[in-house]
Amino acid sequence: MSAAAFTGTSVMDIDAAKVRGAGSNVHFDKVSVAYGAHVVLHPLTLDIAPGEILAMIGPSGSGKTTALRAVAGFVRPASGRIRIGATDVTDLPPYERGLGMVVQNYALFPHMRVEDNVAFGLRAQGADKALIGERIKDALGTVGMSAYARRYPRELSGGQQQRVAIARALAVRPRVLLLDEPLSALDAQIRRNMVEEIARLHRSLPGLTILYVTHDQTEALTLADKIAIMRDGRVCSHGPTTELYRRPPNRFTAEFLGRANLLPVTVAEAVGPKGFATARHGDALLTGAGRNEKAGDKSLLCIRPQHLSLTADSDHTNRIVGTLQEVHWQGELTHLVLDVDGTPVRVSATRLPIALPEPGAKVPLFFAPADTSLLPEDAGV
Amino acid sequence: MLVWSRSGRLVLWVLFALIFGVLFLAPLAVILLSSLADQWNGVLPNGLTTEHYTDVISGAAGRAVKASLVTGFLASALALVSGTWAALSLRLQGHALRRLLGLLFFIPSAVPSVSVGLGLLVAFSHPPLLLNGTIAIVMIAHFVLISAFTFGNVSAGLARLSPDFEQVASSLGARPAYRLWHVTLPLLAPYLVAAFGLSFALSMGELGATVMVYPPGWVTLPVSIFSLTDRGDIFAGAALTMILVVATLVLLLGLERITKRATGS
Amino acid sequence: MSEAVTLRAPAFRREPGKLWIVPPAALLALLFFYPLVLIARQAFLDDRGVANVAEVIRVLHSRFFLNALINTVSISVAATAGCLVVGLVLALILAFVPFPGSGFIARLIDTFIALPTFLVTLAFTFLYGSAGMLNAGLMETFSLPLPPVDFLYSAWGVILAEVTVYTPFILRPLLAAFSLVDRGQIEAASVLGARPFRIVRQVILPAAIPALIAGGSLCLLLTVNEFGIVLFIGAKGVITLPLLIYGKAIQESAYQVACIIAVVNIALSLGLFGLYRFAAGRLGA
Repeated sequence: MSAAAFTGTSVMDIDAAKVRGAGSNVHFDKVSVAYGAHVVLHPLTLDIAPGEILAMIGPSGSGKTTALRAVAGFVRPASGRIRIGATDVTDLPPYERGLGMVVQNYALFPHMRVEDNVAFGLRAQGADKALIGERIKDALGTVGMSAYARRYPRELSGGQQQRVAIARALAVRPRVLLLDEPLSALDAQIRRNMVEEIARLHRSLPGLTILYVTHDQTEALTLADKIAIMRDGRVCSHGPTTELYRRPPNRFTAEFLGRANLLPVTVAEAVGPKGFATARHGDALLTGAGRNEKAGDKSLLCIRPQHLSLTADSDHTNRIVGTLQEVHWQGELTHLVLDVDGTPVRVSATRLPIALPEPGAKVPLFFAPADTSLLPEDAGV
Repeated sequence: MLVWSRSGRLVLWVLFALIFGVLFLAPLAVILLSSLADQWNGVLPNGLTTEHYTDVISGAAGRAVKASLVTGFLASALALVSGTWAALSLRLQGHALRRLLGLLFFIPSAVPSVSVGLGLLVAFSHPPLLLNGTIAIVMIAHFVLISAFTFGNVSAGLARLSPDFEQVASSLGARPAYRLWHVTLPLLAPYLVAAFGLSFALSMGELGATVMVYPPGWVTLPVSIFSLTDRGDIFAGAALTMILVVATLVLLLGLERITKRATGS
Repeated sequence: MSEAVTLRAPAFRREPGKLWIVPPAALLALLFFYPLVLIARQAFLDDRGVANVAEVIRVLHSRFFLNALINTVSISVAATAGCLVVGLVLALILAFVPFPGSGFIARLIDTFIALPTFLVTLAFTFLYGSAGMLNAGLMETFSLPLPPVDFLYSAWGVILAEVTVYTPFILRPLLAAFSLVDRGQIEAASVLGARPFRIVRQVILPAAIPALIAGGSLCLLLTVNEFGIVLFIGAKGVITLPLLIYGKAIQESAYQVACIIAVVNIALSLGLFGLYRFAAGRLGA
C-alpha cells in the first residue's frame, strides 16, 4: 500500500515548490574517527553535491553509520573537518547544524501527537505559531499523512511511523537530510513501497541533499545518484550509481553491488581507442571494456548474470562454454549455474530455449563486450 | 506446565497456600482483625468495634499521620529531584568517574538506618549546623535513606531509554535544556512516578533513623505505633498500622494508575 | 590508522555539563558521607572530645558487643537461608505450576516490599504471642495451664518475621529469571520422560542460580541492617548491632560506644553491599 492508498491523495499532487529543501553540499575533509586506539573511520574525503542523494553502503562495521553520525555531530572526529555549505560544522553541537535525521526505529516521541512530533524542531527553534501550522500541513501532506495529525505514534503502523519521522525531519527545512537505515525495521513488502516513495519525495524536493546509509544494495541502486561503498572504515569505491554498477573499479564493489561473475583472464591486446581490450580465458578470446590494461596483465572480466545469454545475438560477440550444473526456476527468472573451467558462473535468464539442456551438458554462453568490465585481479580493495 | 499429574499439582498448590497463608495472608488478616477487636481472650476476638480507630484518630494519630505524610512527601520530592539530577548529570561524566559516583550514590541504601541517624546526630548537634531537635533532621534522615532508591530507579529508566530520541531531538535543533524538558523527562515520567511512590512508601515505614533523631513534636506513624505497642496498647497499635498500610497502598495504587493513564499502556 | 591516532582532536566546545554533577554530589557528601566520617572520628573520642583508644578495645572485647555481633550474623544467615528456600518454592510454583490468580498473588507478595517491616512482628504477637491465637487455641483445646508455643520472643521469632519480610526480595529476581526459561525446553524434557525433579535440577535451577546469589546477598545485607523487627519483638536475649547502637546512643547517651559499634556495623554492611553489587553485576553480564 502506498501513501495514496492510505489517504486518497498522491504524493505527486503536492506542490513541489511549497516544501523545498534548501540543499547544501556536504564536504568530508580527511575525517577520521577513532575510539581509543580503535579506528572506525580512516581519513575520509568525500563530497555530496547540493540536491544529491548519496547512498553509503557496506557491511556492518564498515564505518558508514559512523560517517553519518559525524555529520550529525554525535561522534567527534579525531581529525579532519566537516563542512555543510559554507559552514565548518566540525565544532558545532548537533542542534546548531540545521539537519534533519531519520533513524531505523523512527524514534517518534511517544508522548506527542503526530502533529506535535512534526512541529518539534520548529518549536525547539522558537518558530512562530502561524509558520509552524503551515509547515505541519506541508510536511504531513508531502508524506501523505495529513489525516493522521491527531494520532499518537502507537496508533500507527511501522510504515506510517516512518513517514511521520520523515515529515518531522522535513518540517525544519533541513540543509541535509540524514537517513540512517530508515527502512530496515519494515517488512519486505512495505520496504519496497517506501523506497519508491522516498524516490518520489526527492523528485518533489529536488534541492534536498540526502545522505542515505543502508546495508541494502537494492535501496541504494533505486534511490541514489551516487554511491559510496564502505569497507573496514574506508571508502572502497565512490561514483555515480549506474557507472559504479556497470564499471565496478574493484572486486568488492562488483560483488557487493548486485551479482557478478568474475572470469580470470589474461589481457592479450591492450585497451584500444574505443576503450576495449581483448583478453584470453582458456581457449576463448574475449573482448571487454577496459581502463588502461596492457597486454600480459592478469585481470578479471566482470559479467552480470542477466547479461549472459544462451542464444547468440548480433552484438553478443563473446562466447564461452560451461558445464550446466543447476537450474533454479523462480517464475519471472530462471537461474542457471554453470562451471566454466573451474569458475562458477551464474546466469539469470528471462527467456529460455524451449528445450532446456540437462545438467551435465556443455552449454555455450554469449554476451556483448559493452556489458563487461575488466577489473584488477587484486582481491583486496 | 512442569507437573502434569492432577494430584501432583494439587499437592503443590496446597503447599503454596500453606506458605502463603502462614507467612503473608495471616499477618495482614490478623492485623486487620485485631484493629477491630473489642476484647481478645480466646482464639478469636470476643467482639468487633471501631473504637480503636476513633481513639487513635482523636488522639495523637492525626498528628502522626500528618507528620508521616509531610515527611514522606518532602523527603521523596527532594530525593526525586536530587536522584534525577544525579542520574542525568552522571551521563555527562567520563566512564571511570561515572562508575565511581554511581556506586557512591547507591551506598546510602547499604548503611543501616540506625547508623544514618547516629551520624546525623553526631554531625548536626553543634553550631553552625545545629539541626538536632528540628523537623529538618527527620527530613534529612529520610532523604538520605531513600535517595539511593530514586537514583537507582531513574538510572534504570535512563539506561532503557533509546539514545535515538535525544539524538533526533538534538539534530532537529533542540538545545539541551529544551530537549531535557520536552523529551527526556516526559519519557522518564513512568520511572519518576515509580521512584516517587517507592520512596514515599519507604519513608512512611521508616523507623530506625527516625527513632534516633525525631524531636518531641514530630512523631511519625511508625514511631507512634512503637510507643503504643511498647505501652501494651497493641490494639491501638494495630489500628494505626492499618491506617499506615492503607495510606501506603492507596498512594502506590494511585500513582500506578496515573502512570498507566499517562503512558497509555 | 596512525594518522587518525596522532592527529589530536580539535577542541570541541568545552562541556560545562560536567559540572552539573556537583550539586547532588555535594548534597550527598554533606548529608551522608560527612556524618559517616564523623562517626568514624567519634569512635576514637570520648564524650568530652578527648582521644580514647582504650575504649575502642574495651568495647570490641566486651560481651554485649560480641553477643550482638554473633546474634546479628547468625540471625541474618538463618533468615537468608529461609528466604532462599521459601522464595524458591513459591517462585517455582508461581512460574511453572500456575493456578488461577497466581499473577495477582505474585503482585500481592511483591507489595510486601513497600510495607513497614514491623507490621509482621506486630501481627506475630497476635498470632504466636503468649496470649495469641495459637496459644489460646492450644490451651483451650488441651486444657493447658501455660502457653505451649514460646518461640516468638527468641531469635526464631526474628528469623520467621524476617523470612516473611524479605522473601519478596528473592521472589522478584527469581520470577524474572524464570520468565526467561524456555517453556519449549521444559516441554521437550517432559516429552522425553524426564521427571519434574530432574527438570528442576537440570534446566530450571541453573537459570535461577544468578538470581539466587544476587537476591541472597541482598537479603544478607538487609537482614544485617534490620531494626524494626528486632525492636518490636523486644526480647531481652535478642540484641543485634543496630539495636545495640540505638540502646547505647538514645537510652544510655553513650555516644562513643554507639559510634564504635556503628563503625563495625557499617563495615559489615558495606562488605555485604560489595558482595551484592558483585553478584548483581555478574547477573547483569
